[in-house]
Amino acid sequence: MPRKSEPTLRNRVKELRSAEVGMTQQSLADEVGVTRQTVVALETEGYTPSLALALRVAKVFGKTVDELFWLDE
Amino acid sequence: MNAKTNPDSPGMSALEKVAWTEALVSLAALILVSVLIPFTGHHAASAFAVLGIVILSFWFIRKRGHTVIIDERDLEIAQKARQQGSEAAWGFLVLALIAIQIVPWSTHEAVFNKTTLNWLIWAQFAIFVGVKGIVGITLYRRQHHAA
Repeated sequence: MPRKSEPTLRNRVKELRSAEVGMTQQSLADEVGVTRQTVVALETEGYTPSLALALRVAKVFGKTVDELFWLDE
Repeated sequence: MNAKTNPDSPGMSALEKVAWTEALVSLAALILVSVLIPFTGHHAASAFAVLGIVILSFWFIRKRGHTVIIDERDLEIAQKARQQGSEAAWGFLVLALIAIQIVPWSTHEAVFNKTTLNWLIWAQFAIFVGVKGIVGITLYRRQHHAA
């Protein structure tokens, strides 16, 4: 039986960071304690963050995790 | 535009630079050893010492004030790369030991000497470093180009 493919974790990080908050990738990275490359990977949805990182990012934007991240099934 | 001025260009994180160093140094060591074999025979294994250059990649992960150098994503990739490098190295060792037993020219006395052991250990180390580097590079590229 073919294995069901993993759903993609989508997010609104880029949209919120640039349009609403006007932060740079570097300042968001510094705020949540990761490298700028990880913010880029997160925004391009290439990286699935840990729960702790998702919570930290959500806190920066004053949102809940499910307002920021969702599964594209 | 370079990585610093273009916000969509990810640039390279410290551990990605380490992965590139590992891949290139191990490739250089394997090429050097292959080139030297016809001239120096089993002494060519000494050229594996080039792998020592990998130590210099610690420069990339030196502490720089409060800047985050390595984060959870880097550690996750490094762990996967180390695991696959280790599997490749052990796989090589097992296959090499099987090959030594079954090749027609090998005899018990001639095979398990210091020279063979030296070759096996160095080659295993080169494979570990090389595969670890290549897997690391691949995982970083895959995440950066996911969009």
